[in-house]
Amino acid sequence: MHPAMQGLLTIVIGVGGCIGYFYFSNMLLDKVIFPARGPNIGRNINRANLIRPWLFLFPAVFALGLYLAYPVVETLRLSVTDRTQDGAFVGLANYSQMFSEPKFWEAVRNNFLWLLIVPAAATGFGLLAAQLTDRISWGNLAKSLIFMPMAISFVGAGVIWKLVYEARPADVEQIGVLNAIYLWLGGTEPQTWLTLPLWNNFFLMVVLVWIQTGFAMVILSAALRGIPEETIEAAIIDGANPFQIFFKIKVPQIMGTIVVVWTTITLVVLKIFDIVFAMTNGQWETQVLANYMYDKLFRSNDWGVGSASAMIIMLMVTPILVWNVYNARKEMR
Amino acid sequence: MISATAAASPATRAPLEGPRGPKPRTRFSRRNIFIYGTLGLVALYYALPLYVMIVTSLKGMPEIRLGNVFAPPVEITFEPWVKAWSTACTGLNCDGLSRGFWNSVRILIPSVVLSIAIASVNGYALANWRFRGADLFFTILIVGAFIPYQVMIYPIVIILREMGLYGSLTGLVLVHSVFGMPILTLLFRNYFTSIPEELFKAARVDGAGFWGIYFRIMLPMSLPIFVVAMILQVTGIWNDFLFGVIYTKPDLYPMTVQLNNIVNSVQGVKEYNVNMAATLLTGLVPLAIYFVSGKLFVRGIAAGAVKG
Repeated sequence: MHPAMQGLLTIVIGVGGCIGYFYFSNMLLDKVIFPARGPNIGRNINRANLIRPWLFLFPAVFALGLYLAYPVVETLRLSVTDRTQDGAFVGLANYSQMFSEPKFWEAVRNNFLWLLIVPAAATGFGLLAAQLTDRISWGNLAKSLIFMPMAISFVGAGVIWKLVYEARPADVEQIGVLNAIYLWLGGTEPQTWLTLPLWNNFFLMVVLVWIQTGFAMVILSAALRGIPEETIEAAIIDGANPFQIFFKIKVPQIMGTIVVVWTTITLVVLKIFDIVFAMTNGQWETQVLANYMYDKLFRSNDWGVGSASAMIIMLMVTPILVWNVYNARKEMR
Repeated sequence: MISATAAASPATRAPLEGPRGPKPRTRFSRRNIFIYGTLGLVALYYALPLYVMIVTSLKGMPEIRLGNVFAPPVEITFEPWVKAWSTACTGLNCDGLSRGFWNSVRILIPSVVLSIAIASVNGYALANWRFRGADLFFTILIVGAFIPYQVMIYPIVIILREMGLYGSLTGLVLVHSVFGMPILTLLFRNYFTSIPEELFKAARVDGAGFWGIYFRIMLPMSLPIFVVAMILQVTGIWNDFLFGVIYTKPDLYPMTVQLNNIVNSVQGVKEYNVNMAATLLTGLVPLAIYFVSGKLFVRGIAAGAVKG
């Protein structure tokens, strides 16, 4: 069967199933369980209206429960069981095994490096770009250029930057962009950038900063536009220079947005996987937690330690998660 | 300075006296040098990789081997594109990205339609029909939107295996639909709450039911948010790599996974031009949407950036 037809069929079945469910459950409620006639008509209509929203939310509640709530509990359970012993309870043995692996600590160290540098750099560059592009004629062009990497997949970005870091033997012409620049600036011999320990982490981070700056820029640019003109005019009249206006007038007023951008990028960083997987696969001391987990789950087939590392990621995300939930609830009341 | 005669007889309006001549040149003020210098460096960082990608994809291999990374192609060739699309090898098969493209389409369309259909109804129910337990449901949604998917990967493998869907496209469609749901529901809920409640009440008085209000009032009024939700889902699902590599088998890998396998396959010489063409081909769908939808695209991406 042609793929397009197959896709169409899936849609028809999926959407048709949903509509069918909605329609018939609704009819059942109105006509059979609480019919809008007879002696109790008023009470019946009220009851039907009380139940109806839940009827329509049921597919979502069911799916969320099965695919979101249950897996979290299940991962926690798997992290204290052992595969080789047929899923027997082993307490914290998986965790202690994980803590004794140098590769795990390397991943933790790298995750913290990513955490320190990427959100700060992406937010900083984003703020700079938002501020500078606001006052020049080709600012919008620059903006759409900076935002473009957001449309490309992480894997695609990884492939592009692999070309940037490409290294060939010293006796042939260099194809990698960075080596070409390096040699042009007077470097002696081409470097294999992605295998330099510790440094290669930063080269990977550059890729994520490259992607995320666009996101930070558009959000912060909207926030900068929302600053009341009067505050800036007042500062100009008081004789403030552009730097003072930027750091003492504008930045404090958009601090809330800066924090939101920062935490959003932090969440991305904590789960970073694709870039490392596609570019180095955790070799040469570039391991990160999500890739470590993938290694354990799908290469070593060790779901005990894999789940334990997933719980570590969960633990690291939790503070931001709680903060986000708190804010979202407050905001959406 | 305005002259006295002009003020006295506005009808004749004598020319204003003031500074004359061309506008003072401020082109090389220190501020402008700072701005343009910084922007130049920024442009280099953001544009250079994109530029090199496009240029390289249009060169033949002999020309690439000569170096000259930044030079535009002497002889433009689309051969790398054709090869990336139809004959590049992944180590398992040699039919290029075309297979991945069709897989991605088969994953994309059902999951986008399904998740948006369900999420919009949920958002509508949450926004307009006050009911007991709505607050709890709402909190679960927010937690679901932010929770890292790493925690759920393996148990979902087990669930799909039990259902007999592990390794099939249907399983992946299901996963994408469910994972998109929390953030989409919140998106729709927020939009629907911003629609004046009087409209809703008037429709109720006129006798419209749950579905009548949804299809006749809410849907026609909220086309922009549907577009935003669609952009969010299309780019998110198209660019997904992790779910694709875990929940499908090699025959059914989506385009991003296929791209990674083509680039990392160790057979023969590294064909930089084919790799770059493949990357561009993979990015073509989201990039096309980006150029067509502009501001809405930014909104879609921004809305989706927070999800887990």
